[in-house]
This record gives sequence, C-alpha cells and structure tokens, in this order.
Amino acid sequence: MKQPLTLKINGENRLLLVEPFYSLLDCLRDEARLTGSKKGCDEGDCGACTVLLDGKPVTSCLVLAHSAHDAEITTIEGLADVDGLSPVQKAFVEHGGLQCGFCIPGLIMSATGFLQANPEPTEEDVRFAIGGNLCRCTGYNRVVEAIMAAAAEMRESA
Amino acid sequence: MARFDYLEPHSLDEALRLLAEGGDNTRLVAGSTDFLVRWRTGVWRPDSVVCMQHVPGLDYITWNPDDGLSIGALATVQDIEQSDEVRNRYPALAAGATAFAGVQVRNLATVAGNICNASPAGDTLPALLAYNAQCRIVGTGGERWLPLDEVFVGPGRTALESGEILTEIRLPAPAENTGGLYIKHSPRGAMDISAVGVASVVSLNADGACASARIALGAVAPTPVRAYGAEGRLVSQTLDAANIAEAGRLAAQSCSPIADVRSGADYRREMVRVLTERTLSHAVATAGNPPSYDDIRRLAVQTAW
Amino acid sequence: MTTTTQFKVLEQNHPRVDAYEKVTGRAAYASDVYLPGMLACKLLPSERNHARIVSIDTGAAAALPGVRAVVTGTDFPDVRFGSGALRDRYVMPREVVNFVGEPIAAVAADDEATAQEAIELIKVEYEDIPSVVNPLAAMVDGAASVHPDLESYEGYGFTLGHNVSTLLDADRGDVEQAFRDADVVVEDVYRSQGINQGFLEPMACVADVEPSGRLVIYASTQGPYQIRAGLAAVLEMPVSRIRIVPMELGGGFGAKLRLAFEAFPALLAMRTGRPVKLVNTREEVFTMNGPRLPVTNYVRSGVMNDGTIVAREAYTIFDVGAYLGAGPNSGIGHGIGAYRIPNFRLRSYGVYTNKIYVGSYRASGVADMTFAVESHMDHIAHEIGMDPYDLRLHNALREGDVSVSGAVVPSNGLIETLEAIKETMEWPRQLEDGHGLGLALCEWRSGSGPSTAAISINDDGTVSLLTGSTDISGSDTSLAAIAAEALGIPMSSVIVAKRDTDMAPYTGQSGGSRVVYSQGTAVQRAAEDTVQKLMALAAERLGVPEDALGCEDGRVYVMDNEPQGLTFVQLAAASITSRGGPIIGTAALSSMPYTPVFAAQAAEVKVDRDTGQIKLLRYVQAQDVGVAINPMAVEGQLDGGVVQGIGRALTEDQQFDPDNGAVRNPSFASYLMPLAIDLPEIEDVLIRVPAEDGPFGARAVAEPPGFGPPAAIANAVYDAVGVRVKQLPLSGERVLAALNGEYDDIPFDVEALRLAEGII
Repeated sequence: MKQPLTLKINGENRLLLVEPFYSLLDCLRDEARLTGSKKGCDEGDCGACTVLLDGKPVTSCLVLAHSAHDAEITTIEGLADVDGLSPVQKAFVEHGGLQCGFCIPGLIMSATGFLQANPEPTEEDVRFAIGGNLCRCTGYNRVVEAIMAAAAEMRESA
Repeated sequence: MARFDYLEPHSLDEALRLLAEGGDNTRLVAGSTDFLVRWRTGVWRPDSVVCMQHVPGLDYITWNPDDGLSIGALATVQDIEQSDEVRNRYPALAAGATAFAGVQVRNLATVAGNICNASPAGDTLPALLAYNAQCRIVGTGGERWLPLDEVFVGPGRTALESGEILTEIRLPAPAENTGGLYIKHSPRGAMDISAVGVASVVSLNADGACASARIALGAVAPTPVRAYGAEGRLVSQTLDAANIAEAGRLAAQSCSPIADVRSGADYRREMVRVLTERTLSHAVATAGNPPSYDDIRRLAVQTAW
Repeated sequence: MTTTTQFKVLEQNHPRVDAYEKVTGRAAYASDVYLPGMLACKLLPSERNHARIVSIDTGAAAALPGVRAVVTGTDFPDVRFGSGALRDRYVMPREVVNFVGEPIAAVAADDEATAQEAIELIKVEYEDIPSVVNPLAAMVDGAASVHPDLESYEGYGFTLGHNVSTLLDADRGDVEQAFRDADVVVEDVYRSQGINQGFLEPMACVADVEPSGRLVIYASTQGPYQIRAGLAAVLEMPVSRIRIVPMELGGGFGAKLRLAFEAFPALLAMRTGRPVKLVNTREEVFTMNGPRLPVTNYVRSGVMNDGTIVAREAYTIFDVGAYLGAGPNSGIGHGIGAYRIPNFRLRSYGVYTNKIYVGSYRASGVADMTFAVESHMDHIAHEIGMDPYDLRLHNALREGDVSVSGAVVPSNGLIETLEAIKETMEWPRQLEDGHGLGLALCEWRSGSGPSTAAISINDDGTVSLLTGSTDISGSDTSLAAIAAEALGIPMSSVIVAKRDTDMAPYTGQSGGSRVVYSQGTAVQRAAEDTVQKLMALAAERLGVPEDALGCEDGRVYVMDNEPQGLTFVQLAAASITSRGGPIIGTAALSSMPYTPVFAAQAAEVKVDRDTGQIKLLRYVQAQDVGVAINPMAVEGQLDGGVVQGIGRALTEDQQFDPDNGAVRNPSFASYLMPLAIDLPEIEDVLIRVPAEDGPFGARAVAEPPGFGPPAAIANAVYDAVGVRVKQLPLSGERVLAALNGEYDDIPFDVEALRLAEGII
C-alpha cells in the first residue's frame, strides 16, 4: 500500500504517496512527475537515471524511495534556474554533447557531481567518472569535450 | 513481482529485533543495489525489507597500527576507493573498489553488502581475502568474529545465521614491505561483471625473500577462493620470474571455473594463470612503495597490457 | 562546384534545436506521457520457441483486483502482417509461438505492479513442435519447418532451399572463366554475431481512444506513418481513424522503424476506454524486439598478380529468426565492396529459425558484409604480397564505373578518403611488437523515399518548417539549417514544428541515412518555392518584373537598385492581405538518384599476447560528406557510428541458446556496449566532394561509420600478431585461441548451395 513520504527534491519538500517497493526513480517519475530522470534499464547498468544524493551521483533505480527521506536529492530539473543553464548543461549544448538525449540527464548529473568534487580533472578522469553512463549515439567524444569545457568554465568563474 | 514492506531501524538493536521478528522472509539491505535488481527479476521475494541505511555510526573507515583497517557495514565501495589509507596501505583493495561497477553504484553499494551477497564475482572480495579480512558478526546473542574465507559457503550463501548482521570488516595492518594488486579481467573498463579477478598481496623480508603471499581468485569457483597451493609455493622463496610463473600455474590448477556468456572455462583458467603472475609481479615491484592511484585505477581494469 | 565559403548557415556549427529541452530534462519521450486514468500494460512472453498453444487461462489474471482487461492473440483480427517482404506473422500469435519471448498475452491494470502480478497468474499449456535454431542446419532438407505454410504467405516469392524466406542475387560477367584466368584464388568464411541496436530508451507507447473513437498513439518511433499503416492492418481499422504522435526518440537505429508493440495497448485502450501505457523493460527490449542476427559470409576472389581483382563470389546466410522483421538482405550488393570487379556472383539467403525475429539496425547487413569483404581484402593483399592500402587504391571504384545495381558511379570522394587516412594514420608505419594498423573501406548510398516539406512565413518574417520526419541524429536541426540557407535567413528565424500524422504531410521513415539527403532536398525545394512566392509578391509590390529581383539575408531587393526592396517581415505582413494570401512553400519528391557515400577508416591496436585482449589505441575515419550541413552534428554522427562499430568488433555479442534459441544475455550487464573509458578519442576527417544531388551537395552521413571497425580492427590484429580472426566479436578468448593455433575455420558447405542452383 502506498505510504506517505516526504522527500527533499531540488531544495523543495515534496509530500508523496509511495509504495514501499518503489525505487527513487519510480517515485520521481510516477509520483513527483519529474520525468527528466530516465529509466533505461532499471538494473543500474546504464546510468540514465542518475541523480545526486547529498551531492553524490547515484543510480536512482537502485535506491529504495523510502530510504531517501533524509537526503538532499538533486535531479536534472534542479540544475537550471531562471538565470539559465548550469555550466555543465551549457557546455553540452555548445559542444554538441547530445543526440537522442535519453542518456543526457544522467550524464549531466554524473558530470555535475564529479566536477563538484574534482574541479581539475584530466580527460582520463572524466572518462572514468562517466564509466557508469552508457550513451549509444555520441561515441562520447563530444560528451568528454563538453565536460572538460564545463570544468574550465567553472574554474574561471569560481 | 512480490510486494514487500519497508522497515527502517534506527539502531543496531532495533535492526536485530526486526530481523528476529520477521524471520526468514525478511531481507536485510544496505545499499540495496543487488537487492532491487534481484527482486525485480523474482530471485528474491521477501515479505519485508530491513533497510540498514539509517542505523547511525556504521559508515566509518578507520586505520590504526594495532587494529589495521576497520570498515563499518555502511561504508560504501566508493568510500573505500577514495580512502587514502586504503590506497596507500591496501592498494589491491583500492583496485578492487575502482573496478567495481560504476561511480553511481559504488556510491550506494557497501563492502559489507558485497560480502553478504557472496557473489563469486564480487570485485572487492578477492582483495579482502588477500588482506586476511576478519568479519564482526552480531546477533541477538552477542558477537563473533569469523575470517572472511569461512564466511563464504557457496554462491550467494554465507555462514551468517538467520538474524545475524555483519557490522564490521577488519583488515590487519600489512607488514612493512608489502605490495598488492587486484586485476579484473573483463572486456570493458567499467560496469562489468568480472570474468576473472585476481588479487595478490605479498610481504617481503629484508633480504627480499617472500615472508608471506596471499592470492585470491574471483569468478572461478562457487565462491571467491584463496589459492593456498600457489601461496605455499612462494613462502621463503625469492620471487623471481620462475617462482611467480609456478605460482600462476598452481593457482590456475586450483580453481574450478565454469563456462558462461562471458567466457569459457579453459580461458578463465588460463586468465587466472596470467593475472596471478601479473598481480604477483606488480606486488613484488611495489612492495613498500605503493603505486599512485592513477596507476592502480588503470591497472585494475586495463584490457590489454 | 559549390564551395564552403559561399554558405551563410551551412558548414557552421549550430547547437541542436532541441538541445535546451534535452539538457534540462524537459524533452518528453513516450514513457514521459502521463494521462489521467492511465493504465499500465504488461506482456506475457512465450517460454517455448516452437509450440502450439493448447490453452491460455487468463481467468485468475482477469479476476485480480485492479486488472481492467486481458487480451490474447485471438482477440485480434485474424490477419497476418509483415515487416519485411512477407506477411509472415500475427501481431500476437493465435495458435503457434515461434520464439522464446514472443508476447502471447497483454494485461492492462491500474498500475505496473498489478499488471505484472496478473501476468504471473496466466497459465499457458504448450505442445512442443520440432524447432530449429541454427540457420545453416535449417537450410538442409528434413530440418524442422519454422513456417510450414510459408508458400501460402502473401509476398512469398521463389526461393531455393528449406526455410528460406528470401533469396537475392546479382550476377555479372563470366565468373567461372575469370576464376580460371586468375593468378591467385583466395577464399574465406566469416561469421558475425547477433547485435542489439542498443538504443537507451526502451520501446514505449501510450494508446488513448478519443471520445470520437479515434485512436491516438504517443509513440517512440522513426516511422509514424508506418506505425499507422501497421496498426490499421492488424486492427482492421481505417488509417483515418488513427493518429500517431511521435514523441522525442530516445535512439532507434532501425529498431523503431515499424509497428512494434503499439497494437497491444491500443486494443486494451479500446477495450477499457482508458489510456494504456506500455514501457518495455530492458529484458523485454532484448527478448521481444528484433535485433540483428548472426550472419555467415563465404567470400572467394580471383586476383591477378598485379592486384587486380577479376572475380568475386559471395554467399551470405542471414539468420532471420522467427519472422522477417526487416528485409535481411540490404547487404547483397556489398559483397563487392567499394571496388570495381568485372565478374561476380552474389547470393544472399534469409533463413528462418526459431529464435527472436530479425530487426533493422543502421544499414542492416552491410556491417556484416563489410567485415567479411574488408577482412578478405586484407587477406588477398597478404596472399599476393601487396600493401593493403595499395590493393584498395588499385581496385577502388572510380567515377563512371558501373555499380552492382547497374547505376553509373557519379563523382565521389572515395580516393580522397583513402588518401586522407593514409596521411592521418601515417600509413604504412613500423610499430613496436604487438602493435598493428588495419584499414577498412565502407560504402553506402544516400537514402531515398517519399519526402515532403512545407514552409510558411510568419508575420514577423520568421518561418515555420513542417515535415513528417521524426528527428533522429539531429535531423530537425539540419533541416532547419537547409531551410535557413535556402531562404537566406538565420537559423534562429526557423521554427521546426512539433508534428503528428494528422498535421504533417506523409513522409518515409527516418532511417537509412535518408532524412538529410531526401527530406533535406524536399526542404530545400520548399524553401525555393517560398522564395519564388516572396519574389512574386515583392515584384507586385515594387512594381518591377520578378527577374529584376534578388533575395538575400531575409530581404528581396531590386538588383539594379539594392536599397529598393522589401524585407521578409514586410513581405510577410503584406502577404496576409495580398491577393495570394499568406505564403506557403511546399515540395514533395519520391526517389532520388544513386548517390554513393564512401568512407575509409583505420585502427591502431595493441594486442596482449597472454590474454588475447585488444586495446584500441587510435581510430581514424575519413568520410565523404559532400557538404557538412552542421559539422558538429556530422562529426557527432561519425563518432557515434564508429563507436557502435567498435562495440561490434570487440565486445557486443548477442548470444542465443543453441537448443531453444532464447537470448542468453538480455541485459546491459551482459551485452557489452562501449563505455567512454574503453575508447580513444575518435579522429574524424571530413572530405567534401559535393554530391550532384542532395541539398547543397550534402551526402548521407550516418550509416557508413559503423561498417568499418570490425574489419579495420581485425586487420590491425593481423598486422600486430599475425593471426586472422574471422569471427566476431574479436574477444580475448578468440584471439588467444588463434595465437595458440587453436582457432577453427567456420564450416560452410558452398558446394551444396551451388549445386542447388545448378551451378557446377
């Protein structure tokens, strides 16, 4: 039976009714209607559902929704504000780091969490950091390029 | 599809009580990464799930010269991978952690969970075996310590009794002149279940001879296993190419791999030989002088040497 | 000849028109559709690969609280449909199942969990029928018949051999004599593996019935009009009663060209009067929706000592699984490759087996053929002691040659791509032990088919572009760029309309590298039509003849007196009240002339002699793109395509149970697509020999990049360690076996095939 659950999503407390067996991903999509996080496999293998849990990238399909009640949850919908896109989002647009776009919210969340902790990455660091994200369209060239550009941009504006 | 109840203890005692009350159809989860996958495929069908995540004080990684490394049950694989103590003193474990899935799963999965699920292919397990890990197991009747290799009793099966919880893993402090490495054999650099994983940890005497050698193999037997025969061949010996090659052969002989979608049995056995040699050689070369994290990371998952 | 400097919009990088929606998570895919009262649909897969359904008991499922409807095969009209040449299947089996995983019942319930519980309550009784899984075994007389009534199916043509669905052939010259005349004859058999398209968005759709009874499908598709036609057929409904709304497409690569599972939620929505959503699990994607299946290629060549190839014989066996889910044989002409070979005999068989049906994937079959032909070219080169580069250059097709189809080869950049690779890769080069270089040539043609476009001018001088093509690979952005270039306005002045099948004119599928080339030509012509109408209006308003006017930068002006003119904004405003009314430019076309696309690729690898594993150190590709509409997007296509090919070369391997044909590795944890960490940076060289047709000289882009890597990498392995692995993927296990001399050639009884046809 669905049970009430308050989650702090993108800085906002949301009261939701959630089945005990729901993953955080199901909860975000079906209940909070934040559909930017994608279900590519529901097995933790593709990374399309990546969100930040207390700043760390996690596959939300492998998190029990009810266990996340004391965490700060950041989804793709929480990155841009009225002033515009986040540096990572902007870099993906400018460097053509996206095609079909289904893996992109997950990749952007992985990159965002990674760059917060690693402001001066090498290209190899970036490739390791997105090792949990599958993309079938881009071949990763422009994704890596975008993340490196975002890192530079964030360092300059820091 | 089997619905379950979600139970959330806030102390170890409460967790033990919930487990005792729930009986065999209750499942304990920490990161829940294995659990949710196996629940969705119908392998695990518990009536209730006891989630350990909000039990305070179990997410530590500490080191001191007497006790060595202590890993709390809620320390994640990523915590291990990021720990300087682990990288400097237990490089094979750092390698195992870095080879484990991808960052997003490492941020959830715990080392304790990896042990309790007892997958023969668990990437942290060979290194834990090679560092002689001891497990603190708590039940309503008190606690007991078991060496890790006695914890594994079969694929997915451990020596934990119903109602018991693994709360801590302890790795003794390595001797001064110790080196180690884990190599995962897999076609991809991440997000892969290893076809073979080998961890070797060697300590050298002042004269360069082998004081101790521990070799552990993943994915080539029903559980992660030590290659005792190969280890025994090395002790007190000079770790030259011939002895290392012999150890590789003995390790390969000692395992019992299967064939599956990832690779054939003979190939797995041959990879045990090659990786045993490589991890041993690297351990000897870096004894007392741990490699950089970048090297550990690269070596752990490098597809071709 | 067009030069890049003339362009104002093309040949410059433009962010995708949908980029903002996609990086913010706002882009809506089919699984993101939530409608009030929506039910969830789940499917029951067959457990057997060839069996009669004795009974399906859905009683307990239907009685479960929360379950709203259950349907099985007999709830659908008794009509066969086909995705390929033949009408060989029911949308849901009525009596006989043909592969493990085939959906045999569908449930609609209040939520997914309830629907899944209901599925588990359905009881099926099967009676097994003899089955066959290996296509080579299936061709032998006496093997189990996958479709005993094959000859009665609509679309069946004459074929040779048991369980053969299709046979394509191409012949030229005196093949036997040419082989007799040849100095050297080289013969090989290659085998390529099953491949999943690997799109990240699982198949998904929402079906809704409007109060009028009209069916609306929110779909994840490359072919909305094709789904409409397919649904109309299997539901026996008029096309006019169906509307398909294509949502953002989360990758298709051919897998989403046609009707897939839409009929199930459609029927359930009609039964319940409520919207019904179906989203496949990843396991269902692997086990229910057609992948590419293994291909066996026999190739034989007659060669003169100077490297001239005088004869080619190729027999290709395509496993098509249970149904012809896609024409299997687009590879037929590719038995020749990008070469002039005067005498050839090419045969391509599609063979039924009791496993998941074959689907389309990025130029179906060509990658398999390219692996065989380009590995074979390397083999020939080493056999006669010639550099593999020189052999390719010597035999490469030139302008004026006749292609396999009989079309004359127009101007193209094949030689330029080869030369670019030679230069970039510094070929040939002495490398350290265990390292090697390998080459491959890829050939394809720009895709054709019905294409339409309409451009209307808005009252502020911007334009709205309407096409029926769903966006794949950034095609909306490319079409906008073509319109902007043709109209002489900036990209920002082109609005690309979201569309559905009610609104947009009919068009072909988005696939086969046809959108930019064919659809783009329609857009260019629609833009020209628009300009013509603007000029006519301007002529009227300015009181000068039309031929005295020029058009540039969103403005029509008098050529003799440039200051005299009218901007689009002025003309747009004027058009509203003009005699002709608001301006709409349109264009439609069907077929386009043969326009080849060539690419040359090279790999540099390191081979681990102890494990057999391959490390890809560099990958370079040069492709003749004609003109780069949007270079950033072109390179993105090239990168992505090559990486799919690298997966095919090294790690991807859809495996099937030898006994029941079931998919053995239905997950991303066991079907291994490349990750960023496994790859070097892909190096791209764009060659620009403008096409004689196509928008502004652009050629198709997307298909060829994926063809080359298996052969280029296999050839590099040969260069590195002297072993030729003829079976994909090039796993460590296979390479090590080859290094140890334990590698077996692939058995192939070509004599039997020749005899069956009466060729001695």
